[in-house]
Amino acid sequence: MADTKLTGIYFQSAIKGNEDTVNFTEVAAYIKKYNNVAAIWNADEVSLADANNVAAKIKEKNIKRFVIAGDKPGMEKSFFTKAMVNAGNKAEDVIIASFREHGAIRNADTNRAKAILACAVNAVPFEEATQTAEVPVNPNTLVIGGGIAGIQASLEIADAGQKVFLVEKTGTIGGHMAMFDKTFPTLDCAACILTPKMVEIGQHSNIELMTYCEVKDVKGTPGNFTVKILKKARRVDLKTCIGCGTCTEKCPGTAPSEFDAGTAMRKAIYIPFPQAVPNKYLIDGESCTYVKSGKCKVCVKVCPVPDCINLDEKDEEVEINVGNIIVATGFKIFDAKRAEQFGYGKLPNVVTSLEFERLVNAAGPTGGNIVYRSQDKRNNWVFKGDADIPKSVAIIHCIGSRDENYNKYCSKVCCMYSLKLAHLVVEKLPDAKVFEYFIDMRAFGKGYEEFYERIKHEGVSIIRGRTAKIEEKNNKLMLRGEDILGNKLIEQEIDMAILAVGLEPREDSANLSKMLGISQTEDGWFMEANYISNPVNTFTGGISIAGVCQGPKDIPDTVAQASAAASRVLQNIVRGKINKSVKDLSLEEIESQVNKLA
Amino acid sequence: MSQKVDPELTAKIEKFGKGTWNECFHCGNCTAICPLTEQGFLFPRKGYRAIQMGLKDTIAGSVEPWLCYYCGDCSKTCPRNANPGETMMVLRRYLTSVYDWTGLARRIYTSKMFEIGAIVFIAIAVLLLYVSFTFFPSGEGNWIGQDGGVLINKIAPWKRIHLGDWIMAGTLAFILISNVFNMWLKIIFKDKSVKIPFTAYITEVFDFAWNFITQKRFNKCDGTKTYWFLHLFLMLSYVVLFTMIVFFLEWFQTDTVHPIWHPQRLLGYIATVGLFVGIIYFINNRIKKAKENSKYSHYTDWTFLVLLFLTTLTGIMLHFFRISGMPVATYVTYLIHLMCLVPMLTIEVPFSKWSHLAYRPVAVYFANLKKAAYKKNLVK
Ligand SMILES: Cc1cc2nc3c(=O)[nH]c(=O)nc-3n(C[C@H](O)[C@H](O)[C@H](O)COP(=O)(O)OP(=O)(O)OC[C@H]3O[C@@H](n4cnc5c(N)ncnc54)[C@H](O)[C@@H]3O)c2cc1C
Ligand code: SF4
Ligand code: SF4
Ligand code: SF4
Ligand code: SF4
Repeated sequence: MADTKLTGIYFQSAIKGNEDTVNFTEVAAYIKKYNNVAAIWNADEVSLADANNVAAKIKEKNIKRFVIAGDKPGMEKSFFTKAMVNAGNKAEDVIIASFREHGAIRNADTNRAKAILACAVNAVPFEEATQTAEVPVNPNTLVIGGGIAGIQASLEIADAGQKVFLVEKTGTIGGHMAMFDKTFPTLDCAACILTPKMVEIGQHSNIELMTYCEVKDVKGTPGNFTVKILKKARRVDLKTCIGCGTCTEKCPGTAPSEFDAGTAMRKAIYIPFPQAVPNKYLIDGESCTYVKSGKCKVCVKVCPVPDCINLDEKDEEVEINVGNIIVATGFKIFDAKRAEQFGYGKLPNVVTSLEFERLVNAAGPTGGNIVYRSQDKRNNWVFKGDADIPKSVAIIHCIGSRDENYNKYCSKVCCMYSLKLAHLVVEKLPDAKVFEYFIDMRAFGKGYEEFYERIKHEGVSIIRGRTAKIEEKNNKLMLRGEDILGNKLIEQEIDMAILAVGLEPREDSANLSKMLGISQTEDGWFMEANYISNPVNTFTGGISIAGVCQGPKDIPDTVAQASAAASRVLQNIVRGKINKSVKDLSLEEIESQVNKLA
Repeated sequence: MSQKVDPELTAKIEKFGKGTWNECFHCGNCTAICPLTEQGFLFPRKGYRAIQMGLKDTIAGSVEPWLCYYCGDCSKTCPRNANPGETMMVLRRYLTSVYDWTGLARRIYTSKMFEIGAIVFIAIAVLLLYVSFTFFPSGEGNWIGQDGGVLINKIAPWKRIHLGDWIMAGTLAFILISNVFNMWLKIIFKDKSVKIPFTAYITEVFDFAWNFITQKRFNKCDGTKTYWFLHLFLMLSYVVLFTMIVFFLEWFQTDTVHPIWHPQRLLGYIATVGLFVGIIYFINNRIKKAKENSKYSHYTDWTFLVLLFLTTLTGIMLHFFRISGMPVATYVTYLIHLMCLVPMLTIEVPFSKWSHLAYRPVAVYFANLKKAAYKKNLVK
């Protein structure tokens, strides 16, 4: 039966109805139906300055249990614990009702919020009240995103003998990792690790690879999802294209190469990079002259395989049925133009780290030679092998990260990749001077601190103090910074500056989260069921997350998490059964469970 | 050099304005973006360090806060929203109280009631003095001109007012100069790491004067041309009016209404426009929180602007009543004018906002002295 301990509730946000958020007015009205609720306060009524004040209020109402309700209730726990203890109560009787954590975020989740609060005022853990019935599982799995996370997860599941649909938005799998030359901290060649895995994906009998495809709709319940997938028109037949590249030579359409991070041009009919999987060409409709104006067809004429190119091919939709889904959509880099003071987009030799990754890559546009950016015949700014070589390079940390003006969080990988890039400059241009400007050096992983020491000893000047601005002066870049430890103001001429841009959630992540019914953190990363103890599942049964789409991390962590996600999926498949999603439980069902457990 | 850490320092400084020092994580962005910082005088970040660590003596001996003109570039780009520009402002208020041996600056800056009380107290004192030492309201003698015009020198003879002016100016000067001396002790004398060459004291005086007149450092902040111009105009107007009233009252306060192009009137008008436009601009900025430097207003910023506004307004009214021959209105307005003007001068000039008129150029002067020493390598 319902609990009788007199309970006070504190709402962290204003109690009001709002289109975007949970309707708190409704939640507050609802919870009064529990007779033990003695007081409901919100942030306007209770000052969090003085615990004794609150203790007096608690005493006055004879409150014995206290619930903090909100998105970050843990933040105020210590305050109310103090108040409760001062009022003569026990610390254990402070309970948090965490809306966001348990998936009550939007207006549509108002009932969920009620259930969360109902559990709290009766001191029943939400997880216990929401144990659900089991349903059978379709053994096929959908993996969304073909970066290293998606690749790893797909291989794990496929190697266990289960069928995987791997859906990738671009023309090839590989994600960001395929763009790198070396990886920290071991300086292994990225391609040497990644390419065999990519090839394996392409050849695996249990994997159906769907590149240039996007998930359009997800219906159904855990164990049995129906997924609509948009197959964008490749216009080149995957089965018959022999990858000879004849078509590309004479193609008049051009666009910046996505794979080269825009530092080189590609044709309208192209292969993202030579080791792409699938190793087949495709046509980008937006830059194809024929698609735009109805005239050209040069590629069709030169292609040696009859009917291989079909310029009039249209997008298509297919439907698949799966029991589990792994989301591994990765990240995008921070748009450095937003931090105007660094001149990116105006000063050609201020480059992003990702662009620089392409520049130093032996398979990149310059064959790995570090050169200035220069203009091609059509005035596009690109990296060309014949340009001059810079003699000094500065790397600037924390661009767009740890910054209230952009993203508050630390992007976790940029300290380390900056050290890696510094090493690559030293290796390729032994005469160049390399400077690194940082705020804090976050070398947290196995072998990372050692890597940092190693780079220091290679002669890179590593300076504490993030640079504040870069301007042009006498055709050179002029950088201003404070050398905090050296107590100096720095005004330095440099040839090239690399901005260590942070990681951000993809543009379409909000859309995807709605489609899948999974939550996002405030920053936009997909939300795990529990950050500490269950970082791969989501609140929606059968849907797991892996890689950077869950939060910034490096490749080793991504791989580990992808394997973990795969093991969760295999768990469901082996059991053959899966719990219904908490989402599908009605408020009444949870209430009756609460009454039973209270 | 070792120094004692004062664990209460943050709490003390917090009384002088919005304290955001816990936000700062020492990225160095603010110093690097500041158009006014230079080698040897790094700010604003180092100020944060000193506050966070409780280095009271370091702060007391720092010129840096005065070298900042609050362009706000640092606050705009600070990744922690720590508002370094405002912190420099807070430090300037705090330093004003550090230099002031009377302790009044601290009271005024840390208690709204004290400041208002002081203003009211002085205003009443002025009222009593006005009534007892001028011929108001008894109107002994002829205090209305034969043509019905105003005879201000009959009711408040310039000599008597002048006497009052001189006593006030003398007191203000004494307090300010002794505070500046105190400032010298803290910034120059106590700093044993540099030895100032004696000649520098003389050679740097010219730069001091030049900087005072042109506020050229201010102009170094980008994108603040209007701001710089209005601030300069306001300051020069203030100085001109102050000089005319305190030193040339006989010439300024006449019963004859001069023709409009007479320098007395022209100068008065230009200076009044300078004050008025400036005040409106700054009040508007503060209300709209239009710029970084007007986002956070301390109550002393408001009392200062309000007093200056009232003084200017009553000054203008006084002038028009006088030239349009309205004796009684003139004399009453004269009294109200004084009741605004005197508290403004006696409170703001030595103890509050206007003291930066003295401290800032002096600080720049001191910084230049140190620079001269750095140049000659007289650094230990
Ligand atoms: C400049 C730079 C250098 C780095 N260097 C290193 C290093 O040296 N060592 C290291 O350990 N880490 C490094 N990292 C971090 C590393 O990039 C990431 O840890 C890793 O790439 C994460 O892999 P992922 O699969 O999660 O994401 P991604 O690599 O971003 O892959 C995501 C994939 O999903 C696809 N996708 C996205 N949205 C959709 C959708 N809606 N539908 C279908 N497909 C979709 C994308 O096209 C992409 O192929 C670096 C990062 C940067 C920015
Ligand atoms: S039809 Fe399109 S893809 Fe083919 S050659 Fe012409 S522009 Fe290139
Ligand atoms: S990893 Fe390093 S560079 Fe990246 S945001 Fe964190 S501290 Fe800054
Ligand atoms: S910019 Fe902000 S965080 Fe960085 S040092 Fe200055 S005050 Fe501190
Ligand atoms: S407000 Fe302007 S002058 Fe003052 S410290 Fe900041 S950047 Fe420098």
